Amino acid sequence: MNPTIGEARIRVPERVTRGEVIVVNAIISHPMNTGFFRDADGQPIPAYFIRDVVVTYGGQEIARFTWTSGVSRDPIVSFTLKADREAPLAMVWTDNKGGVYKQSADIRFASA
Amino acid sequence: MPRPDEPSRRSFLRSALLAAAGMAGSGSLLGAERLLAAPAGPEDPEVPNEEVARILREISGGKPIRRGHLTLDMPLVAEDGRIVPVIIESDLPMTADQYVKAVHLVVDHNPDAHLAAFQLTPAIGSVSISTRIKMKRTTWVRAIAATSTGDVWAAYARVQVTLNGCG
Repeated sequence: MNPTIGEARIRVPERVTRGEVIVVNAIISHPMNTGFFRDADGQPIPAYFIRDVVVTYGGQEIARFTWTSGVSRDPIVSFTLKADREAPLAMVWTDNKGGVYKQSADIRFASA
Repeated sequence: MPRPDEPSRRSFLRSALLAAAGMAGSGSLLGAERLLAAPAGPEDPEVPNEEVARILREISGGKPIRRGHLTLDMPLVAEDGRIVPVIIESDLPMTADQYVKAVHLVVDHNPDAHLAAFQLTPAIGSVSISTRIKMKRTTWVRAIAATSTGDVWAAYARVQVTLNGCG
Protein backbone atom coordinates (compact mmCIF):
# COMPACT_ATOMS: atom_id res chain seq x y z
CA MET A 1 0.00 0.00 0.00
CA ASN A 2 0.93 3.64 -0.14
CA PRO A 3 3.23 5.20 2.40
CA THR A 4 1.68 7.77 4.75
CA ILE A 5 0.44 10.95 3.09
CA GLY A 6 2.97 13.69 3.66
CA GLU A 7 5.99 11.45 4.09
CA ALA A 8 8.78 13.46 2.46
CA ARG A 9 12.42 13.05 1.58
CA ILE A 10 15.02 15.60 0.51
CA ARG A 11 18.26 14.47 -1.06
CA VAL A 12 21.34 16.67 -1.30
CA PRO A 13 24.94 15.70 -2.09
CA GLU A 14 26.91 14.44 0.91
CA ARG A 15 30.07 16.31 0.03
CA VAL A 16 29.56 19.93 -0.87
CA THR A 17 32.18 22.56 -1.64
CA ARG A 18 31.48 26.08 -0.42
CA GLY A 19 29.92 28.11 -3.20
CA GLU A 20 29.03 25.09 -5.31
CA VAL A 21 25.66 24.98 -7.09
CA ILE A 22 24.16 21.66 -6.00
CA VAL A 23 21.06 19.74 -7.05
CA VAL A 24 18.31 19.22 -4.50
CA ASN A 25 15.84 16.37 -5.07
CA ALA A 26 12.62 16.25 -3.08
CA ILE A 27 9.69 13.86 -3.05
CA ILE A 28 6.52 13.78 -0.99
CA SER A 29 3.88 11.12 -0.77
CA HIS A 30 0.51 12.60 -1.76
CA PRO A 31 -2.43 11.40 -3.93
CA MET A 32 -2.73 14.71 -5.87
CA ASN A 33 -6.37 13.94 -6.74
CA THR A 34 -7.74 16.21 -9.45
CA GLY A 35 -11.40 15.95 -8.49
CA PHE A 36 -12.23 14.64 -11.99
CA PHE A 37 -12.13 10.92 -11.20
CA ARG A 38 -14.66 8.60 -9.55
CA ASP A 39 -13.94 5.69 -7.27
CA ALA A 40 -14.98 2.05 -7.90
CA ASP A 41 -18.49 2.81 -6.53
CA GLY A 42 -18.96 5.77 -8.87
CA GLN A 43 -18.50 8.34 -6.14
CA PRO A 44 -16.50 11.42 -7.13
CA ILE A 45 -13.04 11.59 -5.58
CA PRO A 46 -12.63 15.14 -4.27
CA ALA A 47 -9.69 17.30 -5.29
CA TYR A 48 -6.83 16.78 -2.84
CA PHE A 49 -3.44 18.14 -3.77
CA ILE A 50 -0.33 20.04 -2.64
CA ARG A 51 -0.76 23.65 -3.65
CA ASP A 52 2.14 25.45 -1.99
CA VAL A 53 5.78 24.53 -1.37
CA VAL A 54 8.12 26.86 0.50
CA VAL A 55 11.89 26.31 0.43
CA THR A 56 14.10 27.96 3.06
CA TYR A 57 17.87 27.88 3.49
CA GLY A 58 19.14 28.85 6.93
CA GLY A 59 15.64 30.16 7.70
CA GLN A 60 15.51 32.46 4.68
CA GLU A 61 12.92 31.82 1.95
CA ILE A 62 14.71 31.10 -1.32
CA ALA A 63 11.91 29.66 -3.46
CA ARG A 64 8.17 29.10 -3.42
CA PHE A 65 6.24 26.82 -5.72
CA THR A 66 2.53 27.07 -6.50
CA TRP A 67 1.09 23.82 -7.75
CA THR A 68 -2.24 22.50 -8.97
CA SER A 69 -3.55 18.95 -9.12
CA GLY A 70 -1.80 18.78 -12.52
CA VAL A 71 1.43 17.80 -10.76
CA SER A 72 1.73 13.99 -10.72
CA ARG A 73 0.90 11.80 -7.72
CA ASP A 74 3.73 11.66 -5.13
CA PRO A 75 5.21 14.92 -6.43
CA ILE A 76 8.89 15.13 -7.10
CA VAL A 77 10.72 18.36 -7.70
CA SER A 78 14.37 19.07 -8.21
CA PHE A 79 16.07 22.44 -8.27
CA THR A 80 19.48 23.90 -7.61
CA LEU A 81 20.94 25.66 -4.58
CA LYS A 82 24.02 27.84 -4.30
CA ALA A 83 25.58 26.24 -1.21
CA ASP A 84 27.31 29.28 0.27
CA ARG A 85 26.91 28.34 3.95
CA GLU A 86 26.39 25.34 6.21
CA ALA A 87 22.71 25.53 7.11
CA PRO A 88 19.56 23.43 6.94
CA LEU A 89 17.59 23.40 3.70
CA ALA A 90 13.95 23.06 4.74
CA MET A 91 10.79 22.53 2.74
CA VAL A 92 7.16 22.91 3.78
CA TRP A 93 4.43 21.44 1.59
CA THR A 94 0.81 22.60 2.17
CA ASP A 95 -2.21 20.90 0.62
CA ASN A 96 -5.67 22.26 -0.21
CA LYS A 97 -7.17 20.64 2.91
CA GLY A 98 -4.74 22.41 5.23
CA GLY A 99 -2.30 19.52 5.63
CA VAL A 100 1.21 20.83 6.33
CA TYR A 101 4.23 18.61 5.85
CA LYS A 102 7.86 19.44 6.64
CA GLN A 103 11.26 17.99 5.91
CA SER A 104 14.82 19.29 5.96
CA ALA A 105 18.35 18.31 4.99
CA ASP A 106 21.62 19.74 6.29
CA ILE A 107 24.03 21.34 3.86
CA ARG A 108 27.53 20.49 5.12
CA PHE A 109 30.87 21.28 3.53
CA ALA A 110 33.42 18.56 2.97
CA SER A 111 36.31 18.93 5.41
CA ALA A 112 39.49 19.69 3.49
CA MET B 1 3.71 37.02 -32.23
CA PRO B 2 6.20 34.75 -33.94
CA ARG B 3 9.72 36.07 -33.47
CA PRO B 4 12.34 33.52 -34.44
CA ASP B 5 15.33 35.66 -33.44
CA GLU B 6 17.29 33.00 -31.69
CA PRO B 7 20.61 32.08 -33.25
CA SER B 8 22.18 30.24 -30.33
CA ARG B 9 19.26 28.08 -29.29
CA ARG B 10 20.64 24.82 -30.60
CA SER B 11 24.10 25.27 -29.15
CA PHE B 12 22.56 26.26 -25.85
CA LEU B 13 20.25 23.25 -25.96
CA ARG B 14 23.24 21.03 -26.53
CA SER B 15 25.19 22.45 -23.59
CA ALA B 16 22.09 22.28 -21.40
CA LEU B 17 21.74 18.61 -22.27
CA LEU B 18 25.34 17.95 -21.38
CA ALA B 19 24.75 19.70 -18.08
CA ALA B 20 21.62 17.62 -17.50
CA ALA B 21 23.50 14.42 -18.28
CA GLY B 22 26.15 15.40 -15.75
CA MET B 23 23.45 16.10 -13.21
CA ALA B 24 21.84 12.69 -13.66
CA GLY B 25 25.00 11.18 -12.25
CA SER B 26 24.79 13.35 -9.16
CA GLY B 27 21.31 12.22 -8.24
CA SER B 28 18.50 13.38 -10.53
CA LEU B 29 15.37 11.38 -9.79
CA LEU B 30 14.40 11.39 -13.43
CA GLY B 31 17.44 9.56 -14.77
CA ALA B 32 17.02 7.54 -17.92
CA GLU B 33 13.24 7.86 -18.27
CA ARG B 34 13.79 11.29 -19.82
CA LEU B 35 13.57 11.55 -23.58
CA LEU B 36 14.28 14.67 -25.51
CA ALA B 37 11.54 16.52 -27.32
CA ALA B 38 12.57 17.94 -30.67
CA PRO B 39 13.10 21.68 -30.67
CA ALA B 40 9.92 23.47 -31.63
CA GLY B 41 9.60 24.96 -35.07
CA PRO B 42 10.20 28.62 -35.84
CA GLU B 43 6.59 29.53 -35.19
CA ASP B 44 5.33 30.02 -31.68
CA PRO B 45 2.37 27.80 -30.83
CA GLU B 46 -0.99 29.40 -31.41
CA VAL B 47 -2.88 30.50 -28.31
CA PRO B 48 -5.77 28.01 -28.31
CA ASN B 49 -8.40 29.80 -26.21
CA GLU B 50 -9.25 32.78 -24.03
CA GLU B 51 -8.22 30.94 -20.85
CA VAL B 52 -4.64 30.42 -22.06
CA ALA B 53 -4.58 33.99 -23.44
CA ARG B 54 -5.58 35.29 -19.99
CA ILE B 55 -2.87 33.19 -18.28
CA LEU B 56 -0.21 34.43 -20.70
CA ARG B 57 -1.26 38.06 -20.15
CA GLU B 58 -1.11 37.55 -16.38
CA ILE B 59 2.35 35.96 -16.51
CA SER B 60 3.88 38.45 -18.94
CA GLY B 61 2.26 41.58 -17.55
CA GLY B 62 1.69 42.62 -21.14
CA LYS B 63 5.39 42.37 -22.08
CA PRO B 64 6.26 40.48 -25.28
CA ILE B 65 6.94 36.78 -24.69
CA ARG B 66 10.10 35.94 -26.62
CA ARG B 67 11.46 32.51 -27.36
CA GLY B 68 14.95 31.90 -25.97
CA HIS B 69 17.20 31.57 -22.91
CA LEU B 70 15.07 28.70 -21.70
CA THR B 71 14.89 25.01 -22.57
CA LEU B 72 11.94 22.72 -21.98
CA ASP B 73 12.82 19.04 -22.17
CA MET B 74 9.82 16.73 -22.42
CA PRO B 75 9.15 13.43 -24.15
CA LEU B 76 7.89 13.67 -27.73
CA VAL B 77 5.39 10.97 -26.86
CA ALA B 78 4.00 10.47 -23.36
CA GLU B 79 2.57 6.98 -23.09
CA ASP B 80 1.05 7.65 -19.70
CA GLY B 81 -0.46 11.11 -19.30
CA ARG B 82 -0.42 10.70 -15.54
CA ILE B 83 3.36 10.91 -15.34
CA VAL B 84 5.09 13.14 -17.86
CA PRO B 85 8.62 14.28 -16.97
CA VAL B 86 9.52 17.95 -17.38
CA ILE B 87 12.92 19.64 -17.18
CA ILE B 88 13.21 23.41 -17.44
CA GLU B 89 16.63 25.03 -17.66
CA SER B 90 17.94 28.48 -18.42
CA ASP B 91 21.23 30.26 -19.11
CA LEU B 92 19.89 33.49 -17.61
CA PRO B 93 21.93 34.92 -14.70
CA MET B 94 20.90 34.39 -11.09
CA THR B 95 22.65 37.32 -9.41
CA ALA B 96 21.37 39.86 -6.90
CA ASP B 97 20.69 42.52 -9.53
CA GLN B 98 19.57 40.27 -12.39
CA TYR B 99 17.66 37.03 -11.92
CA VAL B 100 14.70 34.91 -12.92
CA LYS B 101 11.85 35.78 -10.58
CA ALA B 102 9.49 33.04 -11.69
CA VAL B 103 9.15 30.14 -14.05
CA HIS B 104 5.64 29.16 -15.13
CA LEU B 105 4.46 25.92 -16.66
CA VAL B 106 1.37 26.14 -18.89
CA VAL B 107 -0.27 23.10 -20.51
CA ASP B 108 -2.67 24.40 -23.15
CA HIS B 109 -5.44 21.78 -23.04
CA ASN B 110 -5.30 20.72 -19.41
CA PRO B 111 -8.31 21.49 -17.16
CA ASP B 112 -5.98 23.70 -15.07
CA ALA B 113 -3.79 25.13 -17.82
CA HIS B 114 -1.55 27.16 -15.48
CA LEU B 115 -0.19 23.98 -13.98
CA ALA B 116 2.63 25.29 -11.79
CA ALA B 117 4.60 28.40 -10.89
CA PHE B 118 8.07 28.39 -9.40
CA GLN B 119 9.00 31.65 -7.64
CA LEU B 120 12.78 31.89 -7.42
CA THR B 121 15.56 34.00 -5.88
CA PRO B 122 19.29 34.32 -6.70
CA ALA B 123 20.03 31.93 -3.78
CA ILE B 124 19.25 28.95 -6.00
CA GLY B 125 22.23 29.79 -8.24
CA SER B 126 20.73 28.64 -11.55
CA VAL B 127 17.43 27.75 -13.19
CA SER B 128 17.25 23.98 -13.43
CA ILE B 129 13.89 22.63 -12.35
CA SER B 130 12.43 19.21 -12.92
CA THR B 131 9.16 17.59 -11.96
CA ARG B 132 6.45 15.28 -13.31
CA ILE B 133 3.06 16.42 -14.54
CA LYS B 134 -0.29 15.13 -15.77
CA MET B 135 -1.48 15.76 -19.31
CA LYS B 136 -5.02 15.32 -20.61
CA ARG B 137 -4.24 15.12 -24.29
CA THR B 138 -1.76 15.97 -27.05
CA THR B 139 -0.96 19.66 -26.80
CA TRP B 140 1.67 22.36 -26.46
CA VAL B 141 3.45 22.87 -23.18
CA ARG B 142 4.89 26.32 -22.44
CA ALA B 143 7.67 27.16 -20.01
CA ILE B 144 7.77 30.91 -19.38
CA ALA B 145 10.36 32.78 -17.34
CA ALA B 146 9.88 36.32 -15.99
CA THR B 147 13.08 38.13 -15.02
CA SER B 148 13.77 40.85 -12.46
CA THR B 149 14.56 43.20 -15.33
CA GLY B 150 11.09 42.74 -16.81
CA ASP B 151 11.91 40.40 -19.68
CA VAL B 152 9.77 37.36 -20.47
CA TRP B 153 11.35 34.31 -22.12
CA ALA B 154 9.71 31.10 -23.28
CA ALA B 155 10.33 27.61 -24.57
CA TYR B 156 7.72 25.31 -26.08
CA ALA B 157 7.29 21.59 -26.54
CA ARG B 158 4.51 19.69 -28.25
CA VAL B 159 3.85 16.43 -26.43
CA GLN B 160 1.78 13.61 -27.86
CA VAL B 161 -0.32 11.97 -25.16
CA THR B 162 -1.67 8.44 -25.59
CA LEU B 163 -3.35 7.88 -22.22
CA ASN B 164 -5.34 10.75 -20.67
CA GLY B 165 -3.84 11.54 -17.27
CA CYS B 166 -6.46 13.99 -16.04
CA GLY B 167 -9.73 12.02 -16.05
